[in-house]
Parts: sequence; structure tokens; C-alpha cells
Amino acid sequence: MANEQIFVGLEIGTTKISVIVAEARDDDQISILGVGETPSRGVRKGEIVDMETVTECVREAILDAEDKTNVEIGNVWVAITGSHLASFNNRGSLALRAERQIEPEDLEAVEVNAKEVAIPTPNTFLHTILQAYHVDGNQNVIDPLKSEGALLEADFHIVHGIKTRIHNTLRCIESLKIGIEDVVLSSLASAQVVLSQDQKNYGALMIDIGGGTTDYLVYIDGAIRHSGVLALGGDHITNDISVGLRLPIARAELLKIEEGSASDPVSSEGGFISLKNDPRFLGCDVDRVSLETIIHLRVKEIFELIRRDIESSGEGMMDLIRGVMITGGCSKLKGIAQVAEEVFDIPVELTRARNVSGATQIFEDPQYSTAIGLTKYARLVTKNIAPESMLDRFTQGLGSLFKKRSR
Amino acid sequence: MSTSPSRRILVGIGNAGVTVLDLLSVEYPGMTGLLAVNNDPDSLNASIVRDKIEVPEGDPGEGFRVIDDEFGRTVEGSSAVILCGGLGGETGSFLLPALAIRAKSAGLTTMACVGMPFSFEGKHKRDLAERALEKLQEICDAVVVIGNDQLSGGSPSIAAVGEAFVLSDRTLLAALLALTGMISTSGPVKITRADIHHVLGKPGAITHFGFGKAEGSNRLHEALERALKSPLLTLPGKGMALKESSMILLLLRGAKDISFAEVQAVVGKIEQIAGDNCQIKVGVHADGPLGSALELYLLASSGGTVRKPAKPSESNETGEPNSAISPISPISPVSQIGTKLPQPSRGEEISSGHSEGEKGADELFPVQTKPTSKSGKKAAATSKQMQGTLALDTYQRGRFDKSEPTIVEGEDLDIPTFLRKGIKLNPPTRK
Repeated sequence: MANEQIFVGLEIGTTKISVIVAEARDDDQISILGVGETPSRGVRKGEIVDMETVTECVREAILDAEDKTNVEIGNVWVAITGSHLASFNNRGSLALRAERQIEPEDLEAVEVNAKEVAIPTPNTFLHTILQAYHVDGNQNVIDPLKSEGALLEADFHIVHGIKTRIHNTLRCIESLKIGIEDVVLSSLASAQVVLSQDQKNYGALMIDIGGGTTDYLVYIDGAIRHSGVLALGGDHITNDISVGLRLPIARAELLKIEEGSASDPVSSEGGFISLKNDPRFLGCDVDRVSLETIIHLRVKEIFELIRRDIESSGEGMMDLIRGVMITGGCSKLKGIAQVAEEVFDIPVELTRARNVSGATQIFEDPQYSTAIGLTKYARLVTKNIAPESMLDRFTQGLGSLFKKRSR
Repeated sequence: MSTSPSRRILVGIGNAGVTVLDLLSVEYPGMTGLLAVNNDPDSLNASIVRDKIEVPEGDPGEGFRVIDDEFGRTVEGSSAVILCGGLGGETGSFLLPALAIRAKSAGLTTMACVGMPFSFEGKHKRDLAERALEKLQEICDAVVVIGNDQLSGGSPSIAAVGEAFVLSDRTLLAALLALTGMISTSGPVKITRADIHHVLGKPGAITHFGFGKAEGSNRLHEALERALKSPLLTLPGKGMALKESSMILLLLRGAKDISFAEVQAVVGKIEQIAGDNCQIKVGVHADGPLGSALELYLLASSGGTVRKPAKPSESNETGEPNSAISPISPISPVSQIGTKLPQPSRGEEISSGHSEGEKGADELFPVQTKPTSKSGKKAAATSKQMQGTLALDTYQRGRFDKSEPTIVEGEDLDIPTFLRKGIKLNPPTRK
């Protein structure tokens, strides 16, 4: 195959560490060769708390991936999440001295201008993502390079986070003598494979519910308008069950997976769930309505927080979203789509990686959306052409810096 | 006007100062020794503080002359005066130094707790505030400076303007509580007034302040974590400011059962952060009912010039500062008067502040314990506003007990939703 390229996506999640090895194909698609995986230890709410343990887990996951795919992993694309990440939209403007054709340097200058905002001192820029160009007040100019004007403006979605926490992730990988191609916001990675271009243009909210965090991203008119991270996820549901029903964490987790449902307990079938004795646990009967109440309240709250965050970040933004796509390991929870529909009042779809080929059971599982998305993101960025559309062009801030450092 | 019997007087000056005292009265109802001073009759009438002095509107210098005597009578007999307000406005910038001189000349320990304006409020305000601060630092025994810009984390572009001011008032309130608590610590572990003067008495110094509140078995750890997150504890480009400080004041307030081990653990942690060269002075107010929330305050400073300590031989003379000072005209350049003020020597500060402090320790916070549990929600809201945390009643956080709390919209979301919403569940039936 000509133009063959291998991309490796690494996601250090709260529940598991996954490494996706994918191959770029001629037709812009990616084909998954395999996945390496280990249960995660030393990660809480998406952030590394025990460096040594995490490093060991990452090593295992990488070795597992190398074994399964016969690919020697040298460089990886890394997803990053955590409640320290924050985002906002900002417009940069550049007055050209005289009316003339816009040059590529002008596009760079306008981006630099957009980043001239005060972010908290411990923070650093993670992404500066282009939303739209405006030339002389002409809104949404698709390709400003061909137009003439005296004033170039550009809207950006800017993501920033605490430098030291981002560095922790990088240090952990570098200590394994693995190079880092770039650091990518988790939700941005997932969106690459979960949302279609039509959905991005039409207005979509993607929610990736994982073990420790819930990452979300809003696309309107093909551009990212909002992104956020909530340090809440499946672990919280498990913990709620453990506290509410007085069960050990492991039992609570099992109960959530086997019997859990996020649906409104009003429509519960009721009755009891019998938990059997085992050497470390005295069996008991659990009231199903109580279990469903615990889960329903938590899931509903997560969606309500997201809704309120979107509403407060831009007036009328919620009205421009036409659909909600839910992915991530926790999206497998029964009844979750109905709760989301109740809260957002728009069509909700459970989704997973699409437009990829290869081992189907991998990309059909929503818990790999982020890691697969990383490889798609890598493909789009390295192809060095406008991926999907001009509006989707990603401009690297911090990422390219690390790239240089790691080589 | 009745003179408050308490031994220290908290004076709120200008709109910001009065707002802070109102917040204080709401959260610690029954606290005495509060005095509101303002030239805005509307703000003063709306205030719930009992003792008020209205400054005539117009020229603040003229206004001060009118209230000078009344203020003098009110603070008479107290052991310490803590002035609180925002600098930058005409009222606060003039009245704070003027009242400080008045209190100081009456021989009282005089401290101030002031907020500096946001940079978006303009250069004029900034300049006015800086001049007033300079004077205050010359006059007062200790000044806590809350930099509003630093407080908003240097990102006014993101925070809403209204929120920024609320946060500023809340922080000023916490700093006032910290200072008030520190001057009144008693018992075997205490903070002396000399310590406070050492840390906060340096002209030009940057104040570092952190506050955290938590409950439950892991309360100390959590309270410290929260306190350490304060934006006022970081220096731009240098990281943790405590490393730059030579002395840190640590105040713990809470239930009777604060254990020796807990205090030791928290001091150990701060030592780790600040380094070995830093002295940590600990004060403990452990007289709340069992189960009440633990409040932790950190005060330190960096930079600034050390004031010339008074020579030992002078310490006797400074015993009667009144005789040395002629009645002060508020119109005269405050800085000149300020520099002439005798500086009580440290030893003397200890002895005078001490005996009074020990006796008055309980009176100073007459209701400090009960409201903590009764108005727990309100008090918790303070900590939320300040540090992005909320200490709810002892709820179980389960496996997240020791992890960084997830606080959104002021709620600790690690606590199960059903608990926060107060929904009853059927317990499992054991076989």
C-alpha cells in the first residue's frame, strides 16, 4: 500500500489504559491493527496521581499492543483530560496596512493576536482551534488567502490547562523512551471518529462518559464552539451505589454493570436483586428501585451540569445543537440515552467510532472512541491538508512544542 | 452610641468594609465589637451592623474631622483595632489611614485588612490605593493586603465582573477572620502579636493568604488542600509563595477534638512546601462542639522592607504613645505623621497584647462555634466562594475521600447525588 503510515493513540484513562495502533489508508480512512490494554492504576478523575504505577501500566499496555500488532511503537499521540482544563472563545484581529491579498503569515499573526489574553499563570495553551475567518466584516470567509481586505479577523476556540499536570502525563511517557507526537484534548480526539461532518455542520453535542471524567464538545456550523471536562464519571456511579447500598466497591461495580439502569425508577420493574455470598462478602438482597434511583439521579445530574455549562457559555447555543452523541465506556449503561433525551430535549444517539476499518469488535466498543480518535486526528493533522474542511483545521499551540522536545 | 464591651474592635470602612462586616454578622450572629464607618447613608442604613458612624458626605478630610472624636471614644478601652475596607475609592483611601493614625495614637494595636482594586478599575484608583497602602503600612502593626487582580487568577477575561467583586469581599472577610482569630489565640500553642507584626508589618510586602474549611475524618488534609489552592499563595512565575516567606502564621479553628497528631501533620506538610528555613507559628482555637468544621488559615508575606525595630532603650518611652503624639489633623500629609509614630518594641507588644488576648480569647469569638454548625451552609458558602470548595455536613465521599474534590457550582459532587438531594433509599436486606 502506498503512502502507508502507522499512528499510535494512547489514552491514559481512569479505568484503563488503551493503546490503539492504526494504519492510514489511501482513502483518508484509518484501519485499526490492534489494541493494547491494561487496567489503570494510579489515575484519578483522569489525572495521574501515582506516577510510578501509571508508568508501569503504560509500559504494559504498550508491550501488549506491540505483541498483538507486531508494530514497534516509537511515537504516540496522547489524549489529555482533567478538570483543570478550561476553554473559551476569542477573536483575534489584524489590521493590514493597506488593502491587499491576505498572506499565510497574516493567518499566523491573527492567531497570535487571539492568544493574547490573560490565562491563569500556572496554565498553558493546549489548543487554539480555528472557528471562522472574517475579512472586512465579511462573516465566515472560507478561505481568506484568496480574498483581499484591510481587516482580517478570526475566531478561535482556546483550550488551556495547568502546565504541571499536562507535563505529568508527558513525563510518564517519556520515561519509557517513547516519543510524543502531540497532546490532544480527549473530547477533540473522540469527536473525530464519533461525529460525522454532517453532524458537525448541523450542530452536535458529543458527550464522552468515561470512568473518571465526562468530556464534552459542541460543534456548530462545522466549528468547535465549546468544550468542557467534568471530573465525574462511571466511578462516581459505582461509589454512589457503594455508599447507598453499603456494598464493597468491587461488588457495586459488578452490580452497576450487570443490573444497573439509568432510567427513571418510576418505570422500574421493582423487586429485589439477590447478591450471592462469596468468601469476602455476605450476600444480600438489593432493592432495585433504590439502585435505579441512585444511578438515575447521578446520570441526570451529569447531563444537567453539561446543559447548564453550555447555556452559560453562549446565549442560544443550546438551541443550535440538533443532536447529542454519547460515547465512552459509561455509555453502555442501560437507559442512559432516555435520561439524556429528557434533559436536553433533542434526539440522542449512543455512538462509537465510525468510518474506520479493521478489527470490528474494537471500534464497535464505545470505550475506545478516544484512543481511536487520536489516530484519526493524527491522520488528519499529518496529512497536512485541510482535514475535512477549512474550518476544521487545527493549529497547534503547545502540541508542536512538545513534538520538538520529544524528538 | 454604646461602646462595645469587647476587647478588639473591627471597623468596616467604606462600602467594601461595611459589606464585609455585614457578611460577618450574617455568618457569626452575635459577634460584638463591630463598627461600620461610611459616608454613604444608604449603605449605612442598610447595614445590619449595630454600631455605625456616619461620615458627612463631601470632602473626606472634612468628614473625618467631624467623626474623629466619636471614633476615638468608640475604640477607647479596646486592646486592638482592626480596620477593614477597600482601597482605591475616595472614602477608603482617605479614611483608612486617617483612622489608623487615630487608633495608633491612642496607643492601640492597630491592624488593617484591605483590598486593592482590580486593574480594570483604572490607574487613578490604583495610584490612590497604592499611596494609601504605603501610609497604612507605615502606621499599622500589621496589614493584610488582598490583591484583587491576583485573586481572580489573572484572568479577568473569564470571570464575570460581579463574581469577581463577591469573591473579593468574601476573601476580605476570611482574611479579617484570620487576623481576628490570630490576635486572640491563647493556650500553649499561640500566635503572638509580635509574630503577626513580623509577618505583616513590612512595608511594601506582598501578603499571601489561604483559607480552607472541611469536615469529617479527613478534615485537616482537605482543609489544607483547599487553603493551598488559593491564588493568593502563588507568586507569578515563582510558584508557591510560601517558599519565599520566612515565617508562616497558621490558625486552626474547630472542634475540641483537634488532636496533637493532626496539628503536627499539617505543620509537617507546610514545612515540606515552605522549606526548612521557614518558621511556622501555630495558633489553635479548639473550642467548638464535636463534629464542627475545621477552618484553616494561612498568612505569610514575601518581599517588603523590614522596619527598623525600635531600640530596646526606647521601649519604655513607647509605653505612652499618647504623650508623644499631638492630636492629628487628618488633612496633614499622613505619611509624615506615620513615620513619626513610635514603633512599640516587640517585647512590649507581646506583654500588652498577651494578657489581654488570653483573657479576651473567648470573648473575641463569642459565638464562633455554634454558628459553624448552625449556619453551616452559609459558612460553607464562604469557603466555596473562596476556594471553590463546599464543606457540607459530614457526608460520605466514599472512595473519593482522599482525592481532590470535584466542585461544580459550589457543590461537592463526589458526595452521592441522592445524599445531597436527601432521598431515602431502602437498605439492602442481609441474608
